[in-house]
Amino acid sequence: MNFLLLLLPSLAATGLAVTVRPYRALVGWINALLSLVALGAALSFARHAIRGGEALVFGPGELLRADGLSALLMVCVAAVVSLVLFSSPGLGGETSYKASQLRRYHVFINLFVFSMLLAVSANNVGVMWIAIEATTIFSALLIPLTLTKASVEASWKYILICSVGIALAFAGTVLGYFDFVSRSGRPENALNWPVLLSHAPLLHPEVMKLAFVFLLVGYGTKAGIAPMHTWLPDAHSEAPAPLSAMMSGVLLAVALYAIVRWKVVVDATLGGGYTDRLLIVLGVLSLVIGSFSIVLSHNYKRMLAYSSIEHTGLMCLGLALGPLGVFAAMLHLVNHTAAKSMTFLLAGRVLRRYHTTEITGVSGLLTTMPVTAGLLAAGILAVIGLPPFGLFISEFALIRAGFATGHPWLMGVVLILLAVAFVALISHLNRMLYGAPPRDVAAGEGSGWTLVLLSVNVAVLVTLGLTLPAPLATLFDQIVRIVSR
Amino acid sequence: MLLCGIALLWRHSLSAYIGAFRWQSLVLVVTFALIGYFGHDPELYIVAVVLLVLKALVIPWYLRRLNERMGAERESRPYVNVASSLIVAGLLVLLAYAITRPLVMVSSLPTRGGIPLAVGLIFVGLFVIVSRRKALTQIVGFLVLENAIALLAALCTYGIPLIVELGVFLDVLMGCLVMQVIVYQIRDTFESFDVEQLNQLKH
Repeated sequence: MNFLLLLLPSLAATGLAVTVRPYRALVGWINALLSLVALGAALSFARHAIRGGEALVFGPGELLRADGLSALLMVCVAAVVSLVLFSSPGLGGETSYKASQLRRYHVFINLFVFSMLLAVSANNVGVMWIAIEATTIFSALLIPLTLTKASVEASWKYILICSVGIALAFAGTVLGYFDFVSRSGRPENALNWPVLLSHAPLLHPEVMKLAFVFLLVGYGTKAGIAPMHTWLPDAHSEAPAPLSAMMSGVLLAVALYAIVRWKVVVDATLGGGYTDRLLIVLGVLSLVIGSFSIVLSHNYKRMLAYSSIEHTGLMCLGLALGPLGVFAAMLHLVNHTAAKSMTFLLAGRVLRRYHTTEITGVSGLLTTMPVTAGLLAAGILAVIGLPPFGLFISEFALIRAGFATGHPWLMGVVLILLAVAFVALISHLNRMLYGAPPRDVAAGEGSGWTLVLLSVNVAVLVTLGLTLPAPLATLFDQIVRIVSR
Repeated sequence: MLLCGIALLWRHSLSAYIGAFRWQSLVLVVTFALIGYFGHDPELYIVAVVLLVLKALVIPWYLRRLNERMGAERESRPYVNVASSLIVAGLLVLLAYAITRPLVMVSSLPTRGGIPLAVGLIFVGLFVIVSRRKALTQIVGFLVLENAIALLAALCTYGIPLIVELGVFLDVLMGCLVMQVIVYQIRDTFESFDVEQLNQLKH
């Protein structure tokens, strides 16, 4: 039942947006309200997991399944979706989009949401793959919402690189299944995750090694792990702000979730060392590329996109650093979702006012849009991991996990790279906040509704920076038990 | 199938590419049907029929129409010339034999001899994508890659569960349509399909 409440609202919203033409503001509002239903369902899954309930399954062949890990991702996705839909264009305020564009936006963004929610609630790893591939297809159609050379180029690169990457992940899935079939025959629901996991110790290590390489490269492409990240800065910077917020805030996390699911299976076959080594190498590489690209970038949306690569790298590292590392990675995931969805939405506001994505073109933000500037500063300070924001705690936990598992040198490198990103982001932020605003840019905030919503993100970040609420701690505890068995 | 994949490397005109892709899909359909017949798995017949309709009829027809509407496009100057392309393809197939040795050893299916070929074809598909300039050629390269993975699934496991297989086809079809939409957009904004021109986005 809850599964239906989770998945059907986005389908209903799609249907509504398709049938009502031309687009009306009412559609946007109804869709935003529908997303609250999905959020409620996601929260109820989380509550079930926190109370220690068994994983729930649903549908023919146990198609859908929700344990603590999927519940966390569901809540993240649904929360960001509500945030984005309530601050989308076309809810009545002034907008630069035509009615046909708004209709297209509402159709595909809800399909995109549906496929993300399906990806995190699928039990069958094949269905999970299908859903993740579908996220690429639907979001690629949204990037060129306004047809410009840059946005078309970004969406072509995005769909080509991600489709190819995801196809490789499918080859990995096939290899995993092949191993399974050649060892255990063909039981019912063989691609279901718990079935795979229970047979994993019997699987053939060499084949699983090969399969994991394919899976890591494939889903890693989608998660923005270097060196497969090349589509990410283009797509994130050219997409409309609400879509960038979703892509950076939750889509990367969904792809990472697929890697985590497979990592658990492969670890059960091989023991931990192999997947950990691969994740550490790619994680550090992402950190290096992410943080130095931040230094070089002169476009603030690309700057945020590179910072997403950097943080995905951190999460990969965390996943490879034992139970405490997994805890840190999951906490980091929640924090990053809150921070990035906020900063990308704010970047959209800045872009609408200044009509440029160049950092040098934006100055005096504090005088033109004081509240936006304040929130952006808070968001970026959170992203670079300053207290009292949650990312400080999760990065701290991650470094501790590194020392505890005997990687002091690695952690030294990580600290240096974090410092590089810190300095670069602060100096870019300074350039945008201070100085005299350009003459043709009007002062004043415009509609403040989004800002009220975004203060929720700040509240989440500060809360997670000061304390870890008990229910959340229980949930993380369960996830750690799922991931590092 | 590998031959059809490699044919992509030395032919120039797009209609030849589409023809090669169609032949490759037909071979794939026959493979599925044969495996279904010898493995006594009626599900594979369904897969074969869907494949036949989708990959051997609908997608080639659609690509051809797209190609005609754009005017006959030729892959005149690929990044890697024909002779070296063929050598690279040969090396990729050798590489595939090397990395699939553990797979062939653990498998007991009569089809295991074809596994390295399928993996080799995956690599050739990837190579077509990275070494060619035209957006349409890259789509064909992507489709070849998808064919290769379907072949891998058929040879390794006698087909993955039906629901997954159908979902994958749906995704491929959708992906292909969306890529074509974007190709139209590329033409409208850049007045060409040379992906060489897609180089605006830096830092």
